[in-house]
Amino acid sequence: MSEHRAPKSTRRYRGLGLLRDSRVGAAAVALILCVGLVVGIAVLVLRQIDEFSTAASDNVQWSLAQTDVEYLRYELAIADAEARATPATIEAIRRRFDVFYSRMSTLANGDVFELLRADPAFEDPRQEIEAHLQATIPLIDGPDADLLAALPQLAEDAAAISGDVRAMTLEGLASFANVSDSKREGLVRTLALLAAVLATIFAGLALVAVSLYRLMRLSDDRAREVQLGAARTRTIVETSLDSIFVIDASGHIAEMNGTARHMFGFDETEAGMPLERLFADAGEGHLREGPLSFLASGAAPAIHERRFEATAKDAHGRHFPAEISIGKADGEGDPVYIAYVRDISRRKIAEQGLTEARDRALAGERAKSEFLAVMSHEMRTPLNGLLGSMQLLRDHDLTERQTDLLDRMQSSGKLLLGLVNDVLDLTKLEAGKMEIERRPMSVARLLDGVVETVAPLATEAGDTLDWAWVGPARDACIGDQRRLRQVLLNLVGNAVKFTRDGSVAIEVEALGDNRTVEFRVIDTGVGISERDLERIFNDFETLDSSYSRQVGGTGLGLGISQRLVGLMEGEIGAESEQGEGSLFWVRVPIAGDTTDRTLSVARKAVAEPRPLPPLNLLLVEDNPINRAVAREMLEADGHRVTEAFDGAAGVDWARARRFDAILMDISMPVMDGIEAAREITRDGRASAGVPILAVTAHALPEEIDGFRAAGMAHIISKPIDRDELSSTLAAAVLPESERPASAAPVSQDAARLIDNAHLGAVWRDLPPAARETLLTRALAEIDETVTEVSGTDIPDDPNAVRETVHRAAGSCAALGFTAMHRALAEIETCLKRDGLVPSAPRDALPHLWSGTRNALEDWRSAA
Amino acid sequence: MTGIHSLSLFALLVATAPLAAQDLAMPEGDVLLTVTGAITVANDGDAAAFDRAMLEDLDPVTVKTTTIWTDGVQTFTGVPLDRLMDVVGATGAAIDATAINDYSVEIPASDWEDGGPIVAFLNNGETMSVRDKGPLWIVWPFDDNPEFQTETIYSRSIWQLDRIVVTE
Repeated sequence: MSEHRAPKSTRRYRGLGLLRDSRVGAAAVALILCVGLVVGIAVLVLRQIDEFSTAASDNVQWSLAQTDVEYLRYELAIADAEARATPATIEAIRRRFDVFYSRMSTLANGDVFELLRADPAFEDPRQEIEAHLQATIPLIDGPDADLLAALPQLAEDAAAISGDVRAMTLEGLASFANVSDSKREGLVRTLALLAAVLATIFAGLALVAVSLYRLMRLSDDRAREVQLGAARTRTIVETSLDSIFVIDASGHIAEMNGTARHMFGFDETEAGMPLERLFADAGEGHLREGPLSFLASGAAPAIHERRFEATAKDAHGRHFPAEISIGKADGEGDPVYIAYVRDISRRKIAEQGLTEARDRALAGERAKSEFLAVMSHEMRTPLNGLLGSMQLLRDHDLTERQTDLLDRMQSSGKLLLGLVNDVLDLTKLEAGKMEIERRPMSVARLLDGVVETVAPLATEAGDTLDWAWVGPARDACIGDQRRLRQVLLNLVGNAVKFTRDGSVAIEVEALGDNRTVEFRVIDTGVGISERDLERIFNDFETLDSSYSRQVGGTGLGLGISQRLVGLMEGEIGAESEQGEGSLFWVRVPIAGDTTDRTLSVARKAVAEPRPLPPLNLLLVEDNPINRAVAREMLEADGHRVTEAFDGAAGVDWARARRFDAILMDISMPVMDGIEAAREITRDGRASAGVPILAVTAHALPEEIDGFRAAGMAHIISKPIDRDELSSTLAAAVLPESERPASAAPVSQDAARLIDNAHLGAVWRDLPPAARETLLTRALAEIDETVTEVSGTDIPDDPNAVRETVHRAAGSCAALGFTAMHRALAEIETCLKRDGLVPSAPRDALPHLWSGTRNALEDWRSAA
Repeated sequence: MTGIHSLSLFALLVATAPLAAQDLAMPEGDVLLTVTGAITVANDGDAAAFDRAMLEDLDPVTVKTTTIWTDGVQTFTGVPLDRLMDVVGATGAAIDATAINDYSVEIPASDWEDGGPIVAFLNNGETMSVRDKGPLWIVWPFDDNPEFQTETIYSRSIWQLDRIVVTE
């Protein structure tokens, strides 16, 4: 309904507006018209009033009639004197003549008669009369005797003009009657006009009255609406759950609602107090300079100033947290601000409760996590002892039965170790402490290893297991081989577990984006229902508990795999058809820029243990089993081993005797491995400068930095693998030239990054003060050159680049940076020949340079 | 009004005090005007008779005005009516003024005011013969005040005046 009504009323209002506009226009026009009329008529009437207020004449009719009378009296006087000639009658003729003459001269000269004089019917007889009078004057003014004698003639003359006098007065009367008529007509016209104007004005007034009445009605309606709106607003304000304050420009409270009075315990009378009274920390001008600073300028608060939290204070001194929302009411005059104040005590308490609960939960989670980490770690130590002992047991003569048992023990132990590792991995992953390496790797070797590992299980389950490239092979990749292997082992292991007498196939394909490699593990096993597909990647998820119990597993595998793949910036997923089999796929961006195949060949060399000369070693380890295992392994390789039971003892031994290398366990009572290593590095005395190898089960990246800082450049992870032990030992003690290319991924072409002997010789020859400066300058120079060359294909100025490269190459040669020198020299030759930077050595340059710098660091820390 | 009253009172005191004596001079020439009726000063029985010299002695004034009966601006010299009435000690409420041609008109006392009518004996500096509406003509200074330009005042502007009766 309201939707229908709304536009109608809008239209009505708009119509009203138009109507009002046009009405105002019409009213203005009418007003101007009225004023014009009134002014016009007023002028007319005033003129008329003016005209009537002064008389233009006296009674002209009487004057004219009097002419007749005076003429007759003059004629009578003559007749009188004729009848009885006495001086008195003669004098009477003169008197009557003069009076008549006077009357005639009035007619001849008076303004009143000017109009008449223009009328020939009046003027002609008048002149006749005047001529008579003029002719008579000598007689009248003459002696009585003459007058007496002329009386008969005078009477005759006077009688002669009798007709003229009559005609003149009659004509004058008629003329004045006409004038009077026309005046009356004029008056009537004026009065009629006046009446018309009055009628018009009356009509106008009536119209104005009607308009005023309508305006009054309209304004009544408006007033009612405003009243209604005000009442509504008042209700809104009064029923608000928040305190509402109206604040004037000076920051004083002008009004407040009921909630405000209740919340702050104010009386109505307390309006007008400063805003600061509402807040606890207002005394120091904190609010005026802080969140309420806009008050000073009278501006509207900026968006970020509109809401803030503060501690409010009520009339009784109770402090409570409050949220304030403030805005400026636009209008004329001084600015007015409206502030909503909300008591957020409960919210704050709830928030605090939540925070505490969260902290508690997090603390619990951390404790659990730590417990798991510690437990797994602690479990690995005895396992380490078990597995190591088993490995050593094989050095003895065993019966076939014993070997068989040992195999089983070892496989169980490895399974157990796998489970423990799983839990540890998960813990590390959860703590965000796992990092992914990016090293050159071979896909073929990775998959060979996986197949090799799982093959016994596959055979047991009657499954075929193999792997193959789909599409062109791309063997050399850069990635974390260990983690990838862990993921694939998990997937393939699962596939074998859930497949009986079927096939498990691994497909690998380099995808079109030239970055991603996809691994697919396809089995013909039981498959997974669509519903279950969603949750198989959850932690501790085992689909069929009875079956999984049969095949074993923590249910952590896929969860860990998913996290690891995520860390590698890859994806993992599964498709399945129940009863038909499953397909798990992993896509990882490992097909990056690998330099060439030789890397993996070089890598392969790591696996081959090199014979070491017999060494004099210090083994610092608190766990007797581990100690015994390590000792056995080392002694089996022909080394001599001295044992220390804790860090402090280790330091004592090191200072007392010189060893070729020190193997240092990290977590030990009394003094831990890091502190011991730091002590030996600081003050090794007899064993000063001897390489120290960290032996640890939890080598996190940041910890490795700590080990390095303590002087331990090499790490052996627990449980100790015999091969790893000997290769790491070799890396630590042998000079660079004699050790297998294992410490750094180095191509065969540039087998040596640094010629240690050369660098050593240069270093020794240089005066100590100059060494650092020289080295820093050389490093900066090479740094710049590498940056410059890496960014260009065809340099603008090949000669300038060539010179730079030449200088850097010289520096490299001088410092024994063999590989860098070789690469730069090749670039220099190419520049000289073609003016081009050759792409292969250029692309390899940054990698080569960072390797060289690492090697330099190693050398310096060793030196 | 008070100002005018007090002013006219002052003029009355100053101007009429020496003349207010009972001994109005006797006319020596032709009598131009005879005043009778409610008067306290007389020189001819109950009447006060004036010749031209007597009138000329009464501090005549000159006014300049147009009239509806003449052509152009005229100057009139004569005795203000109020002064004349003072001189004769008029106590009435009006006068009946009568002319030689027997025209007669009543002029109420309210008209005898300062700046009001004069009894003119000179027109344009010359005596007026009967032919020229003489010898006396009661003239208002019509141009000075539009209130004088009414038919009533015109009717009271009596010419060829020769006698006045002051009525109660």
